[in-house]
Amino acid sequence: MAIRNTPRRWGAVSQFLHWTIVVLIIVQVTLAALADNLPNGMHKLTLLARHKSFGITILALAILRLLWRRLNDTPELPDTLKPYERFLARFVHSALYVLLFAMPLSGWMMSSARGFPVSWFGFIQLPDLVPKSKPLYQAFLTTHEALAWTLGAVVILHVAAALKHHLVLKDDTLRRMLPFPGKNERT
Amino acid sequence: MLRASLTVICAAALLAAASLTPATVFATPAAAPAAAVTHYTLDPAKSSLEFVFTQAGALNKGHFARFPVSLDFAADNLAASRLEVGVEVTSLDSGDKDRDDTLRSADLFAVAKFPQANFSAAQIVKTAAGYEAAGKLTIRGVTRDVRVPFTFRTASEQGAAVGYMNGKVTIRRLDFGVGQGDWKATDQVGNDVVVSFALRLSAATH
Repeated sequence: MAIRNTPRRWGAVSQFLHWTIVVLIIVQVTLAALADNLPNGMHKLTLLARHKSFGITILALAILRLLWRRLNDTPELPDTLKPYERFLARFVHSALYVLLFAMPLSGWMMSSARGFPVSWFGFIQLPDLVPKSKPLYQAFLTTHEALAWTLGAVVILHVAAALKHHLVLKDDTLRRMLPFPGKNERT
Repeated sequence: MLRASLTVICAAALLAAASLTPATVFATPAAAPAAAVTHYTLDPAKSSLEFVFTQAGALNKGHFARFPVSLDFAADNLAASRLEVGVEVTSLDSGDKDRDDTLRSADLFAVAKFPQANFSAAQIVKTAAGYEAAGKLTIRGVTRDVRVPFTFRTASEQGAAVGYMNGKVTIRRLDFGVGQGDWKATDQVGNDVVVSFALRLSAATH
């Protein structure tokens, strides 16, 4: 597998970033759901500290991903797409990129507004993005939650489309984001 | 016999000289063997008592709103100087109501049982940087010896004598049992707590 993208296939770096972020998002949802049901205490504090650290990690990976995308070819969408599908695919991909930034940033601002500074796994304390303020905290809390549900909806569209290509249309759209080569692939 | 009388006379002379010396050398009415200490009390509006702790890897700050201070101090009579601080623990404010409630709860400060923390120091010594008060710090019913370095300067403001006392000391919360159960772990809430104070003290008028 090539390190860089080709017009037909995602390279190793893009794949690594894509799937690492997938795993981290699953971890994030799990941590948030677990913490939500806990009373204030050490356990909740620990889960939320991890949630914030992984969130900052995702933000850093999202920045790398965007940079890498600019330095690389982007594999083309399959020729078989109808114009509205082409539009929908572009829209979903853009939304995913926007959310990869908006989710951690809204969470970071939420922490700043609450007056609980964010640390990356205890190694680095990040600066506060907004001043401490109760109404601001409420606003970012609502935003963070709304974005989380939006992300869930967009991810469902993204996964459904990938599975449709793989299982119904039987093309290489999903395979080209996987390490093993596709059967129709010319390489 | 002669030797005995001489001894008595010499002793009497020495005694007389000793008792006369202060009065003759320092001929002021208030003269005393050691300088009088000034009694100071806290100006709460212009004083702060803060604590900085690590939560989830980040530094967080809080303060106490009520902490009466009684200081007897004279730079030239440290032997008679002493410091008493009483902290109303329930007046803590970490900037977050939920966190304050947690801090007041039984596993942390247990304010229902231990509403008061105290620092009492009768031993104040001069150091290169200022002074150091060695005393007993009691938090959550546990008393430990603690040395608190501080600086002190006096000023006259609108005719009133005031003192400014500043300092900082790092204590370990678990030394005082602040953190029971889950809170004994220090990976998310650090053991070290930096307590700093900036006090404006009013001198009592005699």
